[in-house]
Amino acid sequence: MFLARIDGTVVPAAKHATLGGCRLLVAQRLEADGRLGAEPLLIVDWMGAAQGATVLVSTDGDIARERYGKTSPARMVVAGIVDSVHVPQAAGGRGA
Amino acid sequence: MRLGIVRGHVTLCPAIAELAGKTLVMLEPVTMANLEARNGLGGGKALVAVDELGAAKGQMVAFTEGAEAANPYWPNRVPVDAYLSLIVDTVRTSRMKFEEEVAK
Repeated sequence: MFLARIDGTVVPAAKHATLGGCRLLVAQRLEADGRLGAEPLLIVDWMGAAQGATVLVSTDGDIARERYGKTSPARMVVAGIVDSVHVPQAAGGRGA
Repeated sequence: MRLGIVRGHVTLCPAIAELAGKTLVMLEPVTMANLEARNGLGGGKALVAVDELGAAKGQMVAFTEGAEAANPYWPNRVPVDAYLSLIVDTVRTSRMKFEEEVAK
């Protein structure tokens, strides 16, 4: 699991049949010092994460498999929306 | 899922039975900087994924990595660890939206 910042949306032209109707968001992984990862990630969300929100991402596909069927390739899922993060050693700390 | 650009196709001869008949695409993952610059560049380390959607060269796609990439073939066991699960029509990040607003 890791933290990510929601930063956009994607409109698919075609997708795997099991992903029909699922909400996909563009996110960037958050490092401990608050830096953002270099590569954008596409994350399945059914919790309603807003633009700019910090979320907890689970990379265990079982939760998506339960929801979208055994043949679903979905893997990264929003497991929770972060209320606050407290990292004492980081300069200034970082809230959600 | 990560985002990538289709750079080409791969054909195998011979191939193991589980991969026979599957379309393989060469993908170049896209970094956030290149995505927001809309420059058509990737920037990541190239990889090969199985494609069942028929993505064309130059198209942006999203691919699943890891054990979940073999889920579409369940209950068959296949040695696939990258699966093209979506073809992108449009992607918009907050910065791209901001730049569009400024341009108006």
